[in-house]
Amino acid sequence: MSKKIVAVTACIAGIAHTYMAAQNLKKYAKKEGYDIKVETQGAMGMENRLAQDEIDAADVVIFAVDTVVAEPDRFEGKPVLKVGTSEVVKDGKAAIDQAIALVN
Amino acid sequence: MSEKLSGFISANNVVLDLDAKDREDAIRQLAEILQKNGNVSNAAAFCQDVLEREAMTTTGIGNNIAIPHGKSAAVTETTMMFAKTTTPLEWQSLDGSKVNIIFLMAVAPQAKGNAHLKMLANLSGRLMDDDFVAAIKQAQTVEAVLKIIKK
Repeated sequence: MSKKIVAVTACIAGIAHTYMAAQNLKKYAKKEGYDIKVETQGAMGMENRLAQDEIDAADVVIFAVDTVVAEPDRFEGKPVLKVGTSEVVKDGKAAIDQAIALVN
Repeated sequence: MSEKLSGFISANNVVLDLDAKDREDAIRQLAEILQKNGNVSNAAAFCQDVLEREAMTTTGIGNNIAIPHGKSAAVTETTMMFAKTTTPLEWQSLDGSKVNIIFLMAVAPQAKGNAHLKMLANLSGRLMDDDFVAAIKQAQTVEAVLKIIKK
């Protein structure tokens, strides 16, 4: 079974990087054959909110954030890769690879 | 989405020959156009807010593209400007590339849940799509740019 990733993206202004990082994670997860679901915490609030069972079922969590994650308790006990949104915008593949490396 | 987009961006939001000497000059010139278009009440104040955001981390996202943006009290209607510059500008980009394509995003303070904000979010996501970026780079006319952005 392919590895499951859940991710949260959030930047300071919540206008652009939150959504670029989300797309880039999806793009490279898909390219490498992983399941991914991404929750955005931007200027429009929380979107595509991760359900607790989705989080529980995930192998690894990526926080691509420049600020704090809202409702972090949901992720307690999960392996988390924390990166900045710019890093993910620059190199989405590296973020996915690093996350998978945490649990392989 | 296309229905709302047609009101969101028009030929007034596209500049294909921006002659700017540096990043700040480019943002200032585009802010002035937004003021002329009626989306910004005070170009200087908006420019200041965008530069403050710029000072935190670069908005040069690589691939010769920059997306300066700001949530500002000087913005009366959430919108954007698209520009191609006549000369590449230094922008401390993530990949070190100089910038000749600018998406300047202007967001009003109370824009939460706003349809235009949603479009800026969608547009941001599409910047990660290699086909979208290639099409934008190739576009040589205002009509072509609008068609790609509205697609």
